[in-house]
Amino acid sequence: MGLAKNIQKLPPWYFLFPAIFVGISVTLPLVYLVFRAVDGDWQQSYELIFRQRNLTLLYNTLALTGGVLVTTTFLAFPYAWLTSRTDIPGNKLITLLGVMPLAIPGYVLAYSLLGLGGTNGTLAQLFGIIIDRPSGYWGSLLAISLYTFPYLFLNLRTGFIGLDTSTEEAARSLGLSSFKILLKVTLPQLKPSFYAGMLIIGLYVIGDFGAVSLMRFETFSYALFLQYESAFDRVYAAWIALMLLTLTGTILIGEYKLLKGLSFYRTGTGTARKTKVLKLGHWKWAAFTFVFLVTLIAIIIPVITILFWMAQGVDPIVWNTLGHSVRSSVMASAPAAVLAIFFALPLAYISIRYPSRLSSILQRFAYLGYATPPLALALAFIFFSLSAVPFLYQSLGLLVFAYALHFLAESMGPIRSALYQAPPRIEEAARSLGYSRFKAFWLTTFPLLKSGIIAGAAFVFLSAMKELPITFILSPIGFETLAVNVWSFSAEAMFAEAAPFALCILFFSILFVYLLFAREWKRA
Amino acid sequence: MVSRRSLFLPALFIFLFVFIELASAQITVYSGRNRALVEPLVNQFEAETGINVRIRYGGTTQLAVAIMEEGRRSPADIFWSQDAGALGALHSGDILKVLPEHIAATLPPQFTNPANTWVATSGRARVLAYDKNNVDSSTLPESVFDLTRPEWRGKVGWAPANASFQSFVTAMRATEGDERTREWLRQMKANGAVAYNNNNSILQAIEAGEIQLGLTNHYYIDRAKSGNPNYGIEAHQFGAGDVGNLINVAGLGILKSSKQQDEAIAFVAFMLREYAQQFFMNEVFEYPVTTGIGDSDRMLESILGITPDINLDALNDLDETLRMLRQTDLL
Amino acid sequence: MEKSMNCLLRATNLTKRFSTQDPPVVDRVSFTVQHEEIFAILGPSGCGKTTTLRMIAGFERTDEGSIQLNGKTLECPYTHISPERRGVGFVFQDYALFPHLTVLENVKFGLTGISKSEREYRAQEILELIGMKAYHNRKPHELSGGQQQRVALARALAPKPSMILMDEPFSNLDAVLRQSTRNEVRRILKEAKMSAILVTHDQEEALSVADRIGVMDQGRLVQIGTPEEVYYRPKTKFVAQFLGRTNLFSAQATGLEAHSNIGSIMLDKPARGDVMISIRPEHLTLEQATPANCSGTCGVIQNREFKGHDITYLIKLDRGDCIVHTDNRMPFGVGDNVIVRPLEPAVVLDNDSTRYTPDQSIFTSSDTGKSSA
Repeated sequence: MGLAKNIQKLPPWYFLFPAIFVGISVTLPLVYLVFRAVDGDWQQSYELIFRQRNLTLLYNTLALTGGVLVTTTFLAFPYAWLTSRTDIPGNKLITLLGVMPLAIPGYVLAYSLLGLGGTNGTLAQLFGIIIDRPSGYWGSLLAISLYTFPYLFLNLRTGFIGLDTSTEEAARSLGLSSFKILLKVTLPQLKPSFYAGMLIIGLYVIGDFGAVSLMRFETFSYALFLQYESAFDRVYAAWIALMLLTLTGTILIGEYKLLKGLSFYRTGTGTARKTKVLKLGHWKWAAFTFVFLVTLIAIIIPVITILFWMAQGVDPIVWNTLGHSVRSSVMASAPAAVLAIFFALPLAYISIRYPSRLSSILQRFAYLGYATPPLALALAFIFFSLSAVPFLYQSLGLLVFAYALHFLAESMGPIRSALYQAPPRIEEAARSLGYSRFKAFWLTTFPLLKSGIIAGAAFVFLSAMKELPITFILSPIGFETLAVNVWSFSAEAMFAEAAPFALCILFFSILFVYLLFAREWKRA
Repeated sequence: MVSRRSLFLPALFIFLFVFIELASAQITVYSGRNRALVEPLVNQFEAETGINVRIRYGGTTQLAVAIMEEGRRSPADIFWSQDAGALGALHSGDILKVLPEHIAATLPPQFTNPANTWVATSGRARVLAYDKNNVDSSTLPESVFDLTRPEWRGKVGWAPANASFQSFVTAMRATEGDERTREWLRQMKANGAVAYNNNNSILQAIEAGEIQLGLTNHYYIDRAKSGNPNYGIEAHQFGAGDVGNLINVAGLGILKSSKQQDEAIAFVAFMLREYAQQFFMNEVFEYPVTTGIGDSDRMLESILGITPDINLDALNDLDETLRMLRQTDLL
Repeated sequence: MEKSMNCLLRATNLTKRFSTQDPPVVDRVSFTVQHEEIFAILGPSGCGKTTTLRMIAGFERTDEGSIQLNGKTLECPYTHISPERRGVGFVFQDYALFPHLTVLENVKFGLTGISKSEREYRAQEILELIGMKAYHNRKPHELSGGQQQRVALARALAPKPSMILMDEPFSNLDAVLRQSTRNEVRRILKEAKMSAILVTHDQEEALSVADRIGVMDQGRLVQIGTPEEVYYRPKTKFVAQFLGRTNLFSAQATGLEAHSNIGSIMLDKPARGDVMISIRPEHLTLEQATPANCSGTCGVIQNREFKGHDITYLIKLDRGDCIVHTDNRMPFGVGDNVIVRPLEPAVVLDNDSTRYTPDQSIFTSSDTGKSSA
């Protein structure tokens, strides 16, 4: 009787099984990564793990991460503060501009920065200015910071808007100055938003391979890519992947302890309260200048660079490849979006309707797929498919599956929002009217989730279109998406050939940004 | 109800289709060489022999790894590699079939390999690229070992992740020994050699003024010059016999597991004959592997004298090279 | 003894624990519901009444106990019929109307297994019954609270279930609407000849709508009876106080009479020794106190609430105080000396009303003092 009742308390099987399946799919390949790594020649493995270079790699990775975190804070904080706490005119436009850099993926930004300098770069050809081509640490820092700061911006903005202003008013009545209030009352309350944004950005930097490889800055991800590219025996790539995963794991645990759980875009409830708005007066011109400068470097210059290189004339063969590429990209991204929803819906449903320790563990797995550095994830899948499911090896299906697992966390947000708004009792009402559990869900709750599902699928689709590292490793041989083409041409410094592909990516990225912006603006 | 008779025609059709598909000879090639380089030759081969060719394009390393991982199930009959190292890896994995003796009969000794599990199809010479506007060609070193001198500090570019470079290092290990090779790598690094992802980046960097010299393959420069007479980079050859003049080779190997052995051999033979060799020389800007082909700068004869004396089998040992590159923190 | 032979629903010993350390949320609850009867479970928040209702619906499982509907076992230790197969309608506290369907579609939702025309007919019939026919094309968010509630009721009624369960159906309505809606709902149920179990914390609601009431406290059904019975003859202090304002006195009983703070008073059943008695404020009246009749039982009026149609007096006695509810013709004012005279016998309350003993009969019986099982 006890067991039967415990089973009844569990979510229905058609939700539970997909959720557990996701959990297994994310962790099992990582196990195979370990198997493969210990399979190699012990002496060579020893040499690989304990060499001096790893310390350099670690130092580089941490230095880049730290640099990006600092830079993005300096970029994001003004945007967030300006759009939520001041009377700056053109609030909506500035918010949009703050999100827009997400339209230019890191590797595209790196490509445009590279094409800018040098004796035959854009600046040289247009203005006769010759600057050193950005590379290494500063090039990577610039490219990544400008691409990722919108994540922090959005989180901080939501944080600001959701603040309880009565605490600030209480502090004021106790005699604290505005600056002190900012420091002692406002900023501490922003910590969750801040940590959430930092986490997304930090994980991105560690996992990034596109920008750092083009800038030739040696981080762990870059070393992993090099090993993978040049060696016939991938055991050593596996070791680097494990080191990368250890680094990620440490950060996740640290973050968990700091935050007691992950939250992504959504922190706080975002109810709009009438806060005291600061009048900027003449300072607004300083604000405008700041916004303009950032927009110039993050958006205007890259777009101009791409257009410039396109105008240089492109080999006609490229157009043919472009068509193939678009088709390939869509063929992988669209099914991935559908699959991601198929996984995300049970997870979201369980976490909201059947909250329990089991459900929060399952949710963690969804975010684990997102947090795992993409190169390591892809490599793990290669090993796993080779050993366990050979028919999946080198198949499009595996790539689609990897996309879905990696990006499903992005679809959780919209689906959860939609679920929160669905009245909880309507399924029981349907059951009392004679419908089985599943039919009750399908006929009453599911129709209410449609907009959330569509938004979630759109996020996954667009993210997959822009994705580089996983695509690079898991694409079946000869299958080349837009992203891979941009990267390979850029790597060969064939900027003109890369331009049309970059432009296509820009198109899909802008859709992504638009969707994100529309939802964020509506929420606040 | 569908009657038996109405099923007969479609069944016959399907049967014939499958039969014809199976019966028509078809070989599958995994090509690490570019589509643009390969397609015209393949079309010609199909026209001449009537054998159908299905090609899968990709990176040389990737394809080699795929073949190794696919094992006996691999659908590939032939592997066309961009460089010797990949063929060496397959040879070590006991994947390649020994070719009939007559195949390599016309090749000079530098392009044969005793094991005879693969054969070179075209040559790619290592050269030292230099910025002809800013570097006086008379100051250029005679040996690749001279690049560690102080006057070249921070001015030389190389691409450790590139397969051609790795073949070159393997050749250096074969001719000079592991210790000297390791020493050279260390000294180059200490002398500020700049690492790039690939050969194109090296040349772009020279153009952009970041570096002045680069270790790369000859055909990049030849191709660029043919498109642009004012191209600012020129190729320099080291002294005769210096390992820096290594001719790396692209080559073909036939998989043991192939079920179309005869057709595969025909394919390999075709690529070694005049039509294909002229194509490599004139359209791809590579060196042919037989003498007496056409009349141009790139005749094999022009470099046979200066290349190091090395047995192609020696280029098989990529593993140790990679290990050394890892040990010297270049990979 | 309870006529239990052909009751519609029988619940026996229902028990539910949510954790092993705490006392059960529902503790050995037993009751029956007759055909065409409206049964209310009345109790304060957290007493377990909603959980009991959900167990009958099948949304919660019982730990112990059984439920039979029309003789068929719905729930017992070996059986659990899932909610969709019980044929029991449910009206939720927040109505739970399907937001994406119109009123008509909501009502039609449970009408499966019959022809399309019949569905249409039945739905329209029900809408007519609740007076919402004109709104058949509206969406739930376009309706007021009271209208939504009626649609929820109609939806539950349409498939002609064996009985309807209603969870605090009027609590979300504003006070003005509550009374008229209550009457409406009772009318609809009676017209449909439908049995119902209604769960509420509002005693006025239970008294006016239900045919019988079960009063629940901390998981236990403390008393079951008609509204009049639970109001006029509460068994325990809890029931007496929960059903409305009352006066509680300790008294010394000698048979059918007792001596209390207000003097001599009749009792509803014989008792001896120290007892606790309850008498409703409206069962008392005031008289002018004179030195003659004020024998230590008179008091002083402390407070007078004139409510127009009646007056409530608070009188301070020698020991304690009491409330008296009179019509508006009483001439007394604050400070007057009065004596309080009972108009009805007082009710003797059970001694220890906080500890439930299994032998105690919870059914109102005419046997006096004898426990019956």
